[in-house]
Amino acid sequence: MDLSFYIQLLLNGIVIGVIYALVAMGLSLIFGVLEIVNFAHGEFYMLGAMLAYFLTLNAGLGYWPTILMVTAVAVSLGFILYEALLVSLRGESFERSILLTLGLSMVLQNGAVFLFTTTPKMMVSSLSYSNIIAGELRLPLSRLFALALGLAAFGALYMILYHTRVGKAMRGVAQNRDAALMVGIDPRAVSRLAVAIGIGLSGLAGAALAPVYAVHPLMGFSFVFKAFAIIIIGGLGNISGAAIAAVGLGILESLAAGFLPLVMVDALAFISMIAILLLRPQGLFGRGVRV
Amino acid sequence: MTSGWLRALSVLLSVATLFAIPKLTGNEYVLALGVSFATFSVLSGGLNLVYGYTGLLSFAQVGFFGIGGYTAALLVMEQNWSLWAGVAAGGALAALVGLVIGYSSLRLSRHAFAIVSLSFALLCMIVARDWVSLTRGAMGIPGLPIPTMSLPAGMHWRFVQPSDFYYLLLSFAVVAHATIYLVVSSRLGRAMRAIKLNEALAQSQGINPLSYKLLAIALSALLAGIVGGLFVFYLTIVDPSIFDFYYTETMLIMVIIGGPGSFWGVLLSSAVLTVLPDLLRFTTDLRMVLYGAVLIVAMLLFPGGLGAWLQRRRVARWRRPRLVPR
Repeated sequence: MDLSFYIQLLLNGIVIGVIYALVAMGLSLIFGVLEIVNFAHGEFYMLGAMLAYFLTLNAGLGYWPTILMVTAVAVSLGFILYEALLVSLRGESFERSILLTLGLSMVLQNGAVFLFTTTPKMMVSSLSYSNIIAGELRLPLSRLFALALGLAAFGALYMILYHTRVGKAMRGVAQNRDAALMVGIDPRAVSRLAVAIGIGLSGLAGAALAPVYAVHPLMGFSFVFKAFAIIIIGGLGNISGAAIAAVGLGILESLAAGFLPLVMVDALAFISMIAILLLRPQGLFGRGVRV
Repeated sequence: MTSGWLRALSVLLSVATLFAIPKLTGNEYVLALGVSFATFSVLSGGLNLVYGYTGLLSFAQVGFFGIGGYTAALLVMEQNWSLWAGVAAGGALAALVGLVIGYSSLRLSRHAFAIVSLSFALLCMIVARDWVSLTRGAMGIPGLPIPTMSLPAGMHWRFVQPSDFYYLLLSFAVVAHATIYLVVSSRLGRAMRAIKLNEALAQSQGINPLSYKLLAIALSALLAGIVGGLFVFYLTIVDPSIFDFYYTETMLIMVIIGGPGSFWGVLLSSAVLTVLPDLLRFTTDLRMVLYGAVLIVAMLLFPGGLGAWLQRRRVARWRRPRLVPR
């Protein structure tokens, strides 16, 4: 139990936190713009990981082409998802949107179980056993790549949201849908893009984590619960809040895993969520929610 | 007046028929389906109270169900309580937990409640699986004893045969549904519906939404906890799979198909959806794919469910012009 042990835990926590953040930011973006809680979000994370697995092992693609391919497929799936299912939903039909995306999640998840069984698959590649060794620290290359991808996606999303016109439009719709419509922003185009980006981030997260963890059809299901807790902790619809909460939770979990029993680690997200709801219902970074 | 009597009569007849089934057939498969129907109808009835009447989408029902099951099993096995005391304690604990979740999340919004209820259900599963010293982990608690009921005059009724549990769960289901019916057809139920339709308007009429929401959550949790306790003694084992998301999805489908806010619709769809998939012999994966597809189609085309369809038909009948004035 020396310093390098803590640093190792901390680094692991940052990696997993950044991946949480990718999923949670997409979820938060979709909630912010469309006021829809996407229950199928985790399934796209699962599909991303599955697709990465098959592309690498069956099609023999390298690491970077796989990542690019999976992200492109996920973004297209996001477009299709919006145009096929979500387009008819409005903010006031909150329960309807949950049930609709829940139905989609059931189809995708159980369909994947039916086709591929629940046996976890390990994605073994040349990357799996490469480490960077710095002093006492061992950093698996697959985790480092996941971290780099996550940070790059962070940066890209930030650039889109804050330095492009379409990003401004997205933030506008999230702030006030009617007012955005009045100044000539097409909510449909903006919503479509938000869903595509959100699903794309989720697929990317799956592809980035596929070499780190085992791939199986139920992986998205448990992952998305943490993402839900994260967006509540960060404040519903608050994207940077979700990112900070995600990295915080990743680090906290990783440190807790070094000392506490497993049940406490998995329960950590939920307990923090309840605590936040009791003490600060608008979330850590939320503003102006009437209680 | 006549239609009310007719309805009461048909309900009495159906209940009597259900109770007569073990006398007519000793077929254990039929009885198992009956137990399954009684259990699921209570769960979906409770969900209907929370979602259909009060407008709160809850995923926590399965958590209450399992808490009832685990509490009853642990109290009976470790503390030597009687089944009845254990089941009552399970129901009470479930209701208490329901109040805590409801109070903490409803302060924010019903959106937050939906998400929190979902995480809660998952947390229950994690605790049941990983808190080995309390729940004995993934292996669960097998070998639950056969319960006995003391009857007057020193008699005992041991629940040995499948038909005994059939009677037990069916009786409880009748009590549970009668309770739900009393609530939804009373002032309480009208207040709940008012909150669902327009919370601000209901508030302006002097209705405090939070207390009615909490009442709906607590009552449905109580019923789910009790039925969970009875159900695990029917299975003779409780393990973490009692928190399986499968139960939630099945309950939701029953409520959606039956029509949220329609008492008889949900009851009917619970019966049909218990019996039909079993007769068709789908594997669970395929069944869930199908349920998911049904959920998507229902949400896109048919958001009110069976109940709304019946309601529309009734309205159409009222509107039909009558040639002979009354």
